[in-house]
Amino acid sequence: MAPFVSEPRMIRVQGLFKEFDDPRSGIFRALDNVSFEVRPGEIYGLLGPNGAGKTTCLRILSTVLRPTRGLVEVDGINVVRNPEGVRSRIGFMSCNTGIYDRMTAWEMVEYYGRLYGIPEEKLQARITELFNVLQMNDIRDRLGGKMSTGMKQKVSIARTIVHDPPVIIFDEPTSGLDVLVARAVLQAVALLRDQGKCIIFSTHIMREVEKLCNRIGIIHRGKILAEGTLPELADKYQQPDVEELFFDLIQRREEEVRNSGENSEA
Amino acid sequence: MSWKNIRLVFLREVRDQLRDRRTLFMITILPVLLYPMLGLGIVEMMLTFSEQPRVVVILNADDLPASPALLDQSGIGKEWFENGVEETSKLRVLSERTQKAGDEEKSVRRPRRGEKTDEELLTVAHQLAEKIERLHGLRPADEAPANSNAAAQSNGETSSESQTNAIVPSANEIAEAAATEAKLSAAQDEISQQFGTSGFQVLVIIPKGYRAAMEVMQREIQTSSAATTNINAKTAATRVPPVLVVRNSADDKSMVAFGRVQKALHSWEDAVRKFSFEQAGLPKELQHPARLAWIEVAREEQVAASVWSKMFPALLVIMALTGAFYPAIDLGAGEKERGTMETLLISPAKRVELVLGKFATIMLFSTATALLNLLSMGLTGQQMSAVMSDGVANRVSLDFPGLAPLAWLVILLLPLSALFSALCLALATFARSTKEGQYYLTPLLMVVMGLTMFCLSPAVEMTPLYSVIPVVNVALLLKGLLLNSASSGNLVVYAIPVLISSIGYSMLALWWAIELYNSEDVLFREAEKLDIRMWFRQLLRTKDAVPALPEAGFCFILILMLQFVAMTYMKPDLTRGDPGLTMMRLIVIQQLTMIACPAVFMGVLLTTSLRATFRLRMPSMTAMAIGVGLAVVAHPLSVELSQFLVEHQVFPELPESARQVMGLMKTGDKPTWLLLLVFAVTPAICEELAFRGFILSGLARGGRLAIAVGISSMMFGIIHMIPQQAFNAALLGLVLGLLAVYSRSLFPAMAFHFCNNAIATFHAGEGGGIVADGVFFSRDSDGFLRYEAPLLILCAIAGTLMVVYMTKIVIRDQDAKRRGLVPDFRELADGEEVVA
Repeated sequence: MAPFVSEPRMIRVQGLFKEFDDPRSGIFRALDNVSFEVRPGEIYGLLGPNGAGKTTCLRILSTVLRPTRGLVEVDGINVVRNPEGVRSRIGFMSCNTGIYDRMTAWEMVEYYGRLYGIPEEKLQARITELFNVLQMNDIRDRLGGKMSTGMKQKVSIARTIVHDPPVIIFDEPTSGLDVLVARAVLQAVALLRDQGKCIIFSTHIMREVEKLCNRIGIIHRGKILAEGTLPELADKYQQPDVEELFFDLIQRREEEVRNSGENSEA
Repeated sequence: MSWKNIRLVFLREVRDQLRDRRTLFMITILPVLLYPMLGLGIVEMMLTFSEQPRVVVILNADDLPASPALLDQSGIGKEWFENGVEETSKLRVLSERTQKAGDEEKSVRRPRRGEKTDEELLTVAHQLAEKIERLHGLRPADEAPANSNAAAQSNGETSSESQTNAIVPSANEIAEAAATEAKLSAAQDEISQQFGTSGFQVLVIIPKGYRAAMEVMQREIQTSSAATTNINAKTAATRVPPVLVVRNSADDKSMVAFGRVQKALHSWEDAVRKFSFEQAGLPKELQHPARLAWIEVAREEQVAASVWSKMFPALLVIMALTGAFYPAIDLGAGEKERGTMETLLISPAKRVELVLGKFATIMLFSTATALLNLLSMGLTGQQMSAVMSDGVANRVSLDFPGLAPLAWLVILLLPLSALFSALCLALATFARSTKEGQYYLTPLLMVVMGLTMFCLSPAVEMTPLYSVIPVVNVALLLKGLLLNSASSGNLVVYAIPVLISSIGYSMLALWWAIELYNSEDVLFREAEKLDIRMWFRQLLRTKDAVPALPEAGFCFILILMLQFVAMTYMKPDLTRGDPGLTMMRLIVIQQLTMIACPAVFMGVLLTTSLRATFRLRMPSMTAMAIGVGLAVVAHPLSVELSQFLVEHQVFPELPESARQVMGLMKTGDKPTWLLLLVFAVTPAICEELAFRGFILSGLARGGRLAIAVGISSMMFGIIHMIPQQAFNAALLGLVLGLLAVYSRSLFPAMAFHFCNNAIATFHAGEGGGIVADGVFFSRDSDGFLRYEAPLLILCAIAGTLMVVYMTKIVIRDQDAKRRGLVPDFRELADGEEVVA
């Protein structure tokens, strides 16, 4: 039984470990005792350099990876015990999530809508609405292979939210995009937050975090180094901005790892 | 599992594939266009090829007998060909006679550019003829009248030694002969080269005085009485000089022309013979004294069936795989490459549903490709045979096979396609990119092609074993069914194992694909290169006290492969020295390098405790005693069992090589210690280290001892290759395995192995000097020591008691271990000597 809390927690991660077999050192610990919570209407920013464990964490949340240890719940549903239930409640988008070359924008979104089991009439209405909101009506019948990156990202967003999930996971959604497209994506994220969605957002770009996120967690080498709202963090660590805080924390963590020899020889 | 999702995935994938022009081209357009175009091309090529006439030069044609006449106005008379006019047109015959006729009519064939004129051809032919005749001693350098000389020396038309073979060579002449040989070879080279560039394909040289000699012979036959015909005819016949027919077997064109000329000359010779027989007043029937008649019973559809039975199964297999190949790469690796795999995995559709949807798509394309190809090829064949019905292929009508074989074809195609689709999907899922997918799938294509080629061989027919080998079973069954619909009743029996095993294999492959879709390692493999060195280092670093299961399996496969290599390449040279010693040396080398070495080497590299791996512990005295005692009682049983099986023809007699080894033990010219060293000590140490040591330790790791002992004994049997010995060894392997597991030591097993082999060595020899008393022992007709029923019963009782005792101990230990009372030997190993 979860203890009573005033606000419902949409995402709950507690004591999460994830280990991979590594040819070099036997076992590689990608996540080391990670815990955090995200509430509806909130954007949680997972900030960390490349290889920090952001993607692994989000993939566990979206059930495509299984946790080695620890508790992960989405909307009260355990990702290990009922992965299908979790999947129907989340939308997932990353810079890598591609779209099919030989399907039109409409067909793509329709296909995923059907996979989510949305009734046909409701689905058509929903897609029409999404295409209007995201201004995609001019690329409705365009094949994926013939779209620009911006168009592809729009289709990806539409695909992510076609089933109107309460939780949306963005894994570095802007990496590799030009400024205009990145801006559009971030606007879409903000729009979704305003609709009361619970959003978890990973990035290594500080500006995005400062602009969008209600709370952030700084992660490096599989460990959450600091967590809280921006003012809280600024208060606690006495650093002028997120960037300074970030570098300071990462440096400390590096030293810690070097001293203990941990994680390199597990 | 929701069918709705499977259908959804299936429909999307099919639509996606249909929109892919490359796939569509490979699967539909290519077969529909390829075969008709290929067929047309072949017909065209055959027509143009056969229309080109080949040049035959006949020298000294004037010396041919007037009747029967070989040549007519245009060339070789059409009556000498089976097909008459048509074949005459394919040979252009050039002789001095046609040359003259041509001159008179002023209608000389105008040569094309680069071609030689008739005069030039004849000149070359004359030069060649001179050289050839000289080389073969038919025309001496001093140009003596050819008639008598040639006739004297020409008992064989190509025997160049005929000049010298009558004289005994002196030492001086041997050197001369070598020089002559060199000269001869140079002359042959020259002739070969000149013939190659001559512009004609066959040269027929009619010797001078041929007609005259022939006439003399005819006359002699005519005048002689029947009683003296033999002698006279013989002398007369040898007086006729040979007609030389020169060809170049390395040249296709020459061979084609030669074939025609040869046929014509043979039928002409028949006519000459007939003429001679008539002259001699002999009955015509004597011409063909053996009276052979050829009768063809194949009907047209059977001829067609035999063509289809070769083409259809091969094509079906290859096309079913090709049809699965490209869609699988696109649906498996392509999905990863595009980045859509992750989004698909995040959708609520279950992994099974995704796999099944994709699998159904690939299978659809696989079956469609196979069927379209067969249809297109069948129709093309039919068309081709219609076009060429009066031409080359008039005997072969390629009508479609009947409905029943076609129905079988479709029924058998389904499991085959399913197998290929699932395999391709699994392999393609394993790949990270489409390029990698092609690397993984190409070996599959090669293996399948190899299997198909094997099935095409006419000697390969369906057997119970083949009926459960994937791909081979379907191809062979189909081949049989298409070949002979009349006897298909016998084959239909095989349909059940074929179908069941095929469906089984495809289910297994499908299960594998689903497993891969559930494995996050496979789905999210990082795009790092496969680093063999890294992998190897990890293998060596993450080792345990005892080998892992795959390591044990690999050890077995390594030993098996080495055995095959040894069988193929290590043939002892028994002609030199003492064959017995050679063979014994070989046996010791084989045991040490191919059985003991791999196991010990792997043990050192891959495990931390040699002691645990090879069970190098001091056994109890009881265990040693059981090892020795069991060997003594097992020997009579094993001898009588294998004799029984041979007598009832369950197994074939021992092959020659094994008999040779047995013979070694028998002859008794080797000292006993040597025999024991080779046949008892070496195998006892080497085979035990490998099979009860490394392999059994690896297999037993999972804790299922019974299965481990069973499998290790089967492996032990397989390594013995010869069916009889394999069976025997497998049975002994069970006992050996039990001994090793019971005693936790290798030494009792070694003792058993040594005693067993030592007794067998004595048994194969004199039988240890045991007197046949008729109650316990007897001797068979070969003097072979045999054991009688009372002894066998005693042995069986003693053996059973020991086996039961050991089994009880093992079960007790297992129970104790399960309750945690006794640490298992992996833990034991940690406290003991550990090899770093």
